[in-house]
Amino acid sequence: MLSLHVLKQMKVILRPLSFFLFICLMLLVTSCTPERSISKRYRTVFKIGDQSEWATKAFNDQNWDKRLWFVPGGQVFWSRTKIDILKAPDSLKPFGVYLHAYGEYEVFWDGELIGKNGNPGQEATLGKVGKMWTTYRIPAHLTKKGAHVLALRSSLLYFPDHTRIAQLEIDYYDNLLTNQTIESSYMHLFAGAFLIAFFYFLFLFLSDKKEYATLIFGICCFLFFALILAEFVKAYLPIHYSQHVERLKVIGALMFGISFLIPFYFSMQFPFRKRKLLFTIYAGILLYIFLSRYVFELTANNMVLSMWLFSFGIVAFGVYKKVKGARIVLLTLLLYVPISLVTPFNKSLFVGFSLILLGMFYLLSLRIKEQRLAYETSLVQSTRLRLELLKKNIQPHFLMNTLTSLIDWVEETPKKGVLFIEALAKEFDLFNQIENETSIPITQEIALCRAHLEIMEYRKEINYYWEEEGIDTQQKIPPGILHTLLENGITHSLPLEGNSIRFKLIYESNTDYKCYTFLTFATPLRQEIGTKKEGTGLKYIKARLTESYHDKWDFSSGPVDHGWKNTVKIYS
Amino acid sequence: MNILIVEDESRIAKRIERMTRAIYGNTLQSLKHSNTLYDALNYIENNALDLVFLDLNLNGHNGFDLLTTAVSESFHTIIISAYKDQAITAFEYGVLDFIPKPFNQNRLEQALNRITIKEKKVTNTIKFLAVKKRHKVQLVPIENVLYIKGAGTYTELFLADGKRELHDKSLEKLEQLLSFSFERVHKSYLVKLSEIQEITVASGSKYMAELKNGVHIPVGRTKYKDLKAKWL
Repeated sequence: MLSLHVLKQMKVILRPLSFFLFICLMLLVTSCTPERSISKRYRTVFKIGDQSEWATKAFNDQNWDKRLWFVPGGQVFWSRTKIDILKAPDSLKPFGVYLHAYGEYEVFWDGELIGKNGNPGQEATLGKVGKMWTTYRIPAHLTKKGAHVLALRSSLLYFPDHTRIAQLEIDYYDNLLTNQTIESSYMHLFAGAFLIAFFYFLFLFLSDKKEYATLIFGICCFLFFALILAEFVKAYLPIHYSQHVERLKVIGALMFGISFLIPFYFSMQFPFRKRKLLFTIYAGILLYIFLSRYVFELTANNMVLSMWLFSFGIVAFGVYKKVKGARIVLLTLLLYVPISLVTPFNKSLFVGFSLILLGMFYLLSLRIKEQRLAYETSLVQSTRLRLELLKKNIQPHFLMNTLTSLIDWVEETPKKGVLFIEALAKEFDLFNQIENETSIPITQEIALCRAHLEIMEYRKEINYYWEEEGIDTQQKIPPGILHTLLENGITHSLPLEGNSIRFKLIYESNTDYKCYTFLTFATPLRQEIGTKKEGTGLKYIKARLTESYHDKWDFSSGPVDHGWKNTVKIYS
Repeated sequence: MNILIVEDESRIAKRIERMTRAIYGNTLQSLKHSNTLYDALNYIENNALDLVFLDLNLNGHNGFDLLTTAVSESFHTIIISAYKDQAITAFEYGVLDFIPKPFNQNRLEQALNRITIKEKKVTNTIKFLAVKKRHKVQLVPIENVLYIKGAGTYTELFLADGKRELHDKSLEKLEQLLSFSFERVHKSYLVKLSEIQEITVASGSKYMAELKNGVHIPVGRTKYKDLKAKWL
């Protein structure tokens, strides 16, 4: 009850918590898309060659190429970008330029060299120097309101076809630096949360190795952590442009993993038929997208799209099947759509994934709650079974009939009466030994049956015979099963000619199952009408088998020519 | 005395048999033991009986179906059972006694005495009279019965709604079961005391009891004083 209460409380806390997280994410999305109008950038033009006057502001670049497709052999080429500064900076606060561009290059602003990233033209001899994301300060006297020219003297030994400037940003130099730091530190905090989640769910899985959903969720958390790290590591780790593709491949691989595992996780929570086939196909699609050499962003986009479509299908199926929690997860998936429409891909990716992971987390918490409840029910069930076993010997039918017979024996033939008492003591003693167990050695169960037969012989004055075949004394069995079958056999049969009833227990085993066959050789009782209802004895047997073997058992019981036949099969 | 013991515990059946023989001695005409329901029903159908000892839990079956059949018959039924909690229901159905297991000879004798000695002590109340219909046994609530008329070995129950039902038990046996609220006012009549409105003396010093519904029942000369005393 206490844990239930805690769970309820947690649920109450979790609801506003998820809203809070959602709002945080939205804020993150909006804060990452700043609108600034300090400068206006014109189209960049290119030319292969190397002349110092190409850096100057006044140079006429009208006949330069709008696009340079290929610069082989690490030759030097120039690019010029006209930039209008719309508003001069405050005094003593210099502007800076943030560049995301391939190649090694020197940066000129209005003809003046303001920075150097590697050694253009000398890459082969001097080795890999520089990084892909750079920030340079622009001298204050060159940032007056009006037209300016940013010229790059570059060379592209490693990627001769990547002559573009992917990103160019003019802002206060301080802002350019701090914005990057802020962004990456928030994202690293975020990553840390997922790392902790990964460890938590990993340990949770290690403590219960059957819970694969926990493991998969944990792996998703770790992949997401790694993805964030791979994306934002650029803020402090200098990555040379030649290594950029390696980084993208890492990111692609991480996304491949996440894109596969998220729908897979959902399929575990909302199971459907032909799962294996569907996931083989899905993995094929993802692999095709991953391996086909497109622009990185497109590849990632396609993977995310297929992940979303696939997850959506599975969760929608879950909603259709009215699985608990499916609606909320569907909502998080739907939320991804507007977010991906209003924010750039590399931002929406993280926000969207976070949302989906949150949905997965919610599902997991639901399942954990269900398991807890199931466990509590099973505890109650076990207690009930224990009581049922205990009751066997004190229920009035057994006890009072035994005592009545006992009195009679004592009155009529005291010596036999004493033997009867001893037999009774033996059965009680055996019951005391097994009452707390959920499985006991087969030999103990057989001893119990034999003791019971001894008692019944005194009561019913019928000759009972017990036979065994192929018993493996090492085997264990839930207590009271054979005893119950024996009781039923005694109650529902009449003796054969010669006033005897024979019971036989046969044990067989192979690689697939173990099988106990329990036979009664007797005259069957005429079946009265209206007695088809399953007795408490059979319910007890089935509950015990479920407790010990879950669903890996079979039990059948029915009349045969010679009397009655019961089989208990336990699958391995 | 013709007695049937319905009991699937052989040792207990023998005990009942031995003790009954000891109690009745020579007056016992027949004593039969059945250990199955089928066997018992067969025997009841084909033999005249005075008394049946019945175990309610026969071969794992609930014996109440058998109980309703038994109490609708002409003989008295004594239950011998391990389940004390069934006693109240058994009495409501109209058994003569309920002997819980384990029992001794004294308890058995006490039960058997109820047959021969008219016991006035009100211990348990019968609620129904089981009446045999064509295919089943119907339970008639005692509160619906106004009076009972003896008709040879049978009896006729006169009910509040004007209907009549035949019962297999003799007037003497019903008197034993109903003595707490019914009075034997005549050798052929058993009347519910609470239904009597007036006791009149008709011409020829014939005594009559007038019931609330206007029916007149003859009152035996010897019964008049007793009845008057009780009724007032």
